[in-house]
Amino acid sequence: MLDIKKNLEESRLEFVLDGRLDTITAPQLEEEVKASIDGITELIFDFSGLAYVSSAGLRVLLSAQKTMNEKGTMVVRNVSDEIQEIFDVTGFSDILTIE
Amino acid sequence: MNTSWENDKITIRLEGRIDSGNAAAVESEISDALKDHTASAVILDAEDLEYISSAGLRIILRLRKKFPELRIINVKSDVFEVFEMTGFTEMMTVEKAYRRVSIEGCEEIGHGANGSLYRIDKDNVVKIYNNPDALDDIQHEREVARLALILGIPTAISYDVVKVGDSYGSVFELLNARSFSKILGTEPEKLDWCVDEYVEMLKRIHSTVVPEGKLPDMKETVLSWARFMQDYLPEESGKKLLALVEAVPHDDHMIHGDYHTKNLELQDDEVLLIDMDTLAVGHPIFELGSMFNAYRGFFELDHKAIESFQRFSYETAEKFWYKTLAKYLGTDDEKVIRSVEDKARIIGYTRLIRRSVRRGGLEDKDRKAEIDHWTKELIELLEKTDTLLFENDLEDTNKHKDLDIEAVEDNLDEVMAYVDENLEAVGCSMKAQMQIDIAVEEIFVNICKYAYHPEKGRAVVRVEVSDDPVQVKITFIDHGKPYDPLLKDDPDVTLSADEREIGGLGIFMVKQTMDAVEYEYKDGSNILTLVKNL
Repeated sequence: MLDIKKNLEESRLEFVLDGRLDTITAPQLEEEVKASIDGITELIFDFSGLAYVSSAGLRVLLSAQKTMNEKGTMVVRNVSDEIQEIFDVTGFSDILTIE
Repeated sequence: MNTSWENDKITIRLEGRIDSGNAAAVESEISDALKDHTASAVILDAEDLEYISSAGLRIILRLRKKFPELRIINVKSDVFEVFEMTGFTEMMTVEKAYRRVSIEGCEEIGHGANGSLYRIDKDNVVKIYNNPDALDDIQHEREVARLALILGIPTAISYDVVKVGDSYGSVFELLNARSFSKILGTEPEKLDWCVDEYVEMLKRIHSTVVPEGKLPDMKETVLSWARFMQDYLPEESGKKLLALVEAVPHDDHMIHGDYHTKNLELQDDEVLLIDMDTLAVGHPIFELGSMFNAYRGFFELDHKAIESFQRFSYETAEKFWYKTLAKYLGTDDEKVIRSVEDKARIIGYTRLIRRSVRRGGLEDKDRKAEIDHWTKELIELLEKTDTLLFENDLEDTNKHKDLDIEAVEDNLDEVMAYVDENLEAVGCSMKAQMQIDIAVEEIFVNICKYAYHPEKGRAVVRVEVSDDPVQVKITFIDHGKPYDPLLKDDPDVTLSADEREIGGLGIFMVKQTMDAVEYEYKDGSNILTLVKNL
């Protein structure tokens, strides 16, 4: 289960995620990102309600990061210790900008 | 006239002809014989009686007035006809002379607690009783076998009583039958089939309700063993043993009492239970106790000894016993199987020690070593056991049942729920739980995507939790294409986002976060095992 809330302010887009980012839910997020990323220069993921990220979720984040590297910035916020651990193990801590 | 006393029981041998010519003389001879002692039971042995007229019959009637339990035995067939025509056979016990049967050169095909079974010809077998005064035993066995048959247990009922040397035997029809011991000994590839049939019969016995009072209560018997053991165990262990047996509730289901592979016969396609004299009612743990002895208990210090008894090796016996327990309990969970086995061992050792002690085992060096071994094991078991009932063990196993599920991504949530439910039981940290979840998701999704592609298939997920060390082991089994995901190269996690490829992270994460990951391809199955220390 994943609840995705979208806050759009001009070229600044924020996704507030609630639930689990896994094989089943990652495609939903991927679609949302694809559908709204045109013209965005500042992308923000708020993970305060996110309990779980699997490699399927990491793939979405990596692909978003690649896109944003070409046209602006991307930030991941409010990451729980458990998810931070995943980012550390996979080297994502160095790729993503985590606040 | 020959008479013999045994305690207060007198046997009077009747000879030749008894008619109006000598009836008075015979009668006074009998009363002379009874004059000096008070007889509680009178048996007339008619082995040498050639003829009896109504004058003779009247003597017997008068004698029976004084001794209502009067029995006439060894009656020749001509004489038996007279007793039958005159209605004597309905008034009192009149037993025919027994046919004599020799077992010289006959094959021993069965062996039980109270006797041995020999094949005397193609269609018939005779069971010879150890007890020389076995007529009551034979009668008992015939009655219980009849009862079992009526209650739906396939068995053979004896149709004749014979004399074999000084022993009594009962004769059964048993055509082309082979015992399960013989099958296991000669056709080891049939082991699984034997287990299936053996367990099916066992379940049939244990699901049979016996009308009250028809069979002895096994609990009483085991209680008497436990009381006997008080002198041979430390006080605390003795008390525990008695309390454990006392706590077993009354059960009116049938148990065989000596259920091992020599007592199960395959006749054509039909499986028959034989050796019914130990039939009782009681909780199945009592049965499992005696079964443990037949395959393991008796032979724990002398593995070779089983071969002369069962005709198969100790290794076969161990395997057969373990598989039987697994099948009977309906679980592959070794922990549960061993826990139930331990309860059976308590009953088994108790019986073995008592039996050996009573047979003078303490005076013999080898027997004494066995008694010491059984006693040591028993004391240890008693320390760690709180109940002989095993229903709760089985409840635990139901919780830990494998998940057998179609390998499609839509089932991921169900797999996760199954794994998390098992993890909750051990209580594991959020961090460990997430790592395990991630690993489970990776492996399961991998199976969904690749194992059967483009077809669909199933996957089995098994979660096993152990206490020492605190550890969870998760096994995934699929029957798809052989594929070892561990061979995949690890991604370079130092690369920048632009250099990194999307994907390939999953297995890497599994390897990083689990304490052991193993892959095996066996019997057409991919088996992947994750171990995480908690």
